[in-house]
Amino acid sequence: MKIYIEFRKRKLPQFLGLFILIFTFCGHLSFAQQRDEVEGVVYDTDSGEPLPGANIYWAGRPQSGVVSDENGRFRLQKITLPAELVVSFIGFQEIRRQIQENDKPTKIYLRPEEFSLSEVVVSERRPDENVKSVDMGKSVVPIATIKNIPALFGEVDILRSLQMLPGIQTAGEGTTGLFVRGGSADQNLVQLDGAPIYNPSHFFGFFSVFNPDAIDNVSLYKGNIPAQFGGRLSSLVDVSLKEGNTNRIRGEGGIGTISSRLTIDGPINDKVTFVASGRRTYADIFLGLSSDPNIRNNSLYFYDLSGKVTYRPSDKDKITVSSYYGNDFLGLSEQFGFGWTNWVNSAVWNRTLSDKLYLDVNAYHSSYNYAVSFQDEESGFAWDNLFSESGLRGELVYMPNENLKFHTGVHTQYYHFSPLNFAPDENSNLEGITTNARNALQYNLFLSSQWEINPRFSAEVGLRKSFYQQIGSGVAYEYENGDPRTGVLTDTLNYGSFQTMQTYSGWEPRAALRYLVNESSSLKASYNRNYQYLQVASNSSAGLPIDRWVPADRYMSPISSDQYSVGYFKNLVNNRWEFSVEAYYKDFQNIIDLKQGANVLFTDNVETEILAGRGWAYGAEFLIRKNVGSTTGWVGYTYSRTYRQIEGISLGQPFNPRFDRPHDLNVVVNQQFNPKWSASLTFVYTTGQAVTFPIGIYEVDNQRLPLYSDLRNEDRFPDYHRMDVSINYKAPDKGRKWRGSWNFSVYNVYGRKNPFSYQFAEILNETINFRPTSDNPVTTRRPGVVKTYLFTYLPSLTYNFEF
Amino acid sequence: MNKLALYIVVITALLLTACQEEVFIELDSQPDIPVIEAIWTDAPGLNQVTISYSKDYYNLDENQVERDAEVFIRDEETEQIFPFRFVPQIGAYLPINNQTARIGREYSLHVLMNGRDFYSKGRVLPPPTLDSIAVNYREERLFREEGYYLTLYGDIPFETENNYRIRIVRNDTLLNRRNDYLLFDDTFGTQILNRGFELNGYAFKENDRVRLELFRLNRDAYDYLNELVGLLFNDGGLFSPPPQNPTSNIRELNENGEVLGYFKCSSVLSSIITIGGAEN
Repeated sequence: MKIYIEFRKRKLPQFLGLFILIFTFCGHLSFAQQRDEVEGVVYDTDSGEPLPGANIYWAGRPQSGVVSDENGRFRLQKITLPAELVVSFIGFQEIRRQIQENDKPTKIYLRPEEFSLSEVVVSERRPDENVKSVDMGKSVVPIATIKNIPALFGEVDILRSLQMLPGIQTAGEGTTGLFVRGGSADQNLVQLDGAPIYNPSHFFGFFSVFNPDAIDNVSLYKGNIPAQFGGRLSSLVDVSLKEGNTNRIRGEGGIGTISSRLTIDGPINDKVTFVASGRRTYADIFLGLSSDPNIRNNSLYFYDLSGKVTYRPSDKDKITVSSYYGNDFLGLSEQFGFGWTNWVNSAVWNRTLSDKLYLDVNAYHSSYNYAVSFQDEESGFAWDNLFSESGLRGELVYMPNENLKFHTGVHTQYYHFSPLNFAPDENSNLEGITTNARNALQYNLFLSSQWEINPRFSAEVGLRKSFYQQIGSGVAYEYENGDPRTGVLTDTLNYGSFQTMQTYSGWEPRAALRYLVNESSSLKASYNRNYQYLQVASNSSAGLPIDRWVPADRYMSPISSDQYSVGYFKNLVNNRWEFSVEAYYKDFQNIIDLKQGANVLFTDNVETEILAGRGWAYGAEFLIRKNVGSTTGWVGYTYSRTYRQIEGISLGQPFNPRFDRPHDLNVVVNQQFNPKWSASLTFVYTTGQAVTFPIGIYEVDNQRLPLYSDLRNEDRFPDYHRMDVSINYKAPDKGRKWRGSWNFSVYNVYGRKNPFSYQFAEILNETINFRPTSDNPVTTRRPGVVKTYLFTYLPSLTYNFEF
Repeated sequence: MNKLALYIVVITALLLTACQEEVFIELDSQPDIPVIEAIWTDAPGLNQVTISYSKDYYNLDENQVERDAEVFIRDEETEQIFPFRFVPQIGAYLPINNQTARIGREYSLHVLMNGRDFYSKGRVLPPPTLDSIAVNYREERLFREEGYYLTLYGDIPFETENNYRIRIVRNDTLLNRRNDYLLFDDTFGTQILNRGFELNGYAFKENDRVRLELFRLNRDAYDYLNELVGLLFNDGGLFSPPPQNPTSNIRELNENGEVLGYFKCSSVLSSIITIGGAEN
């Protein structure tokens, strides 16, 4: 990863590159004088490491200065002593020291300048990347920016932050599911160090699984996904755990409203570094303090642990091994328990084969499981399920010259969906259920090239070929007339281990072109085809931990998408402002939905419950963004439409899925007032969700039922809007190791009651949720509408620290 | 288990400081769709057909009842016709001479009104065996309040078409909250009655008079009721599927007109118990 630094501090004249996120304290200046030179070493007080690149000159003579070498050493031509020596370095406090003729040798320690943090912009791309790269539909949000965005419950959330970008919709209030350019939530490949995460959320989707302190980088691809990546239709969320620093043991963390977190990183020896991170909620600790045993005996928590070890055996090799383990649990009265776990492991080997040839190898294993248990004499049970993906990916990068770059490689995946296991207790009157396992292999070959054809034209062209093979051991069913929707079984076919059950393959061309209109503006276009061989069988908009993933088989074809996009990109005021507008059209094939009343959890014949069809989406995304200065942020606006057309739903006519929200405006502003105080503000406005409201009412089976149209989602929730604010206070550095800061944020600052749901139900005795009893019977009843809303004026306080 | 998911979601929503209020929403209107609910069983006193119409959602008027329809049920084997006539006192059509279905027979429902001909079909399947009902007192615990509970003993000897509904009438009041629906099939096996099936959802007090009815349904009627319950639990939120009318097993002959309701063609086992007393 390249780091580009733009330095805008006016009182320092030099622009030098360095990754700056440190604090320090004053040190000394040391000298040894030899012949006509003074000699010394410059150190970083924070790490104790030599500081290369520092400027050393005599006061009033900067033009005759020198720069410290890679070991922090310097030699400067002597002038008439005593004289004032100046040592400066980007982001560090300048030091001036009187040098006498007979001074003894000492070391120089430079202390980083706090104020420089507001003036130095660290980004993971060139300032003109927006215009000059071929990238389309790619967003990189620096972790520092994500940490500044006001957060629900003060929990900094990577996925929720991505929802502030154009083209990305949310399923609803508070949830972290991403709906990217008309794609549903299961069409996003969320990967951590190259390994997929199948349920990237805690707490039923309200928080994402990523501890921000442990994350190095987040990239979102929603338009032109390079041929190196595949497997999902709509986006790639590529998250990297950070690597441990090589200088000293450091820590950072926070104590928040609902959770606390701690990350420690540093060197083990000169070749090995580590980072270890953990986070846990503590709602259950407070529950345990209750005097009411009904509350005290409940559990509700999530935690996650992650770690990464980096080993650099030589200058040409780097090996990293990373692991993530996250768990959620809800327990009621020690009788009912529901938990789920993500466990993700990845190993990456990067080798520089030559100055033009690089090798990346990635092996991973990701598993997800949930378990539900209920202890009861008559109907107790334990129910669990597990699925996993293991993969091996090798990639060669060849750069014959600076204008040409090739990526080629192979990616092999093995999917294993364990049998669902429902085991009643010994005395239960229920019988157990065990479905059959589903397994699949997938092989992907890819080749792509990035070619700077001439200063104006640049292209990225790639091709990916995916081969999918459903394999045994497993069972396939045959149905009457070959149609599983009849539900009438005619035969059962058993397959042995690794026996081929069904195969699919697909060519996935990817192409992107950039035309540089001038130094500050460009036109881009791209085309992408993607295949996805597994889907979630669900007809609710938000994912549940018990959602069932179904791999492609003889009845369910892989889904595919074709996306066409064009864009205009413009940078303004010396790259301080970025502007872009992108338009896209996207086609989906073989999208699935469920039959009415479908039950997909406990059946081995899931194909009998599924309907398939097509979809399409189009839209235009506008983004204006300021990356530098004391005021940063962006304004994004998207107009988009999304449609599905599935036989058996909405009379076979096109309909909008719930997340079709034509207007979507996001404003993010960060303001650094001074080294101590900063503030952030976000504003979200979107069209209300597409939903189905009743068109009447009728009675059947002694119930008053809302009457619905046969057409799906013809109505809308009211428009959604919300403003969040946060204030950050960073305590002045007193030279101590421990540095703290406070964050106070308010979610939904003006208390908008955005609907989470509308329930069309009877209002009994003029009271919502009235529960009649023999002493308090029903006296009146009428149809009504009950709105549920989740969060208004939600303040939170977080203390963050580093040491 | 769908209820389990809903329960979890509700718990979570509450913990997340969810708030509720009643609101008014302007709604489109498509009233006057016929609603036919036909019950044809082997038990006298249960068989009836009601015909009404849908109305605006907020309309508080009495339901419009169709009084002039021609209603009959036909035995598909013997072609015997069972005519029904409208009884204004109860607002429903009752079989003339209080006739009943015979187990094992297939029947068709016919409703002719306003020039439209509605039709459905079903078979009265043999009932399972219900040997005894035990009453046990249970302390309060998770998902269950303190009280007396019924346990059913019997046998389900069928390999297919196991679609059942249990309906409870307590002290002459039908338990018809959404939580009171008890529908089960053979997803979790057919041994449920052999080991004793305790009805966890219904707590009774001493001296309660309980009438229990066990229906064996055709799959389409069972699906209808399942979808109806799903609709009652549908909160319109992210975790609920898009709401749809339950799939009716009644259709209009020669036309594709819309009709609501369902035809329940079923055998019935019933029993009356007084808590603390004897089973009848």
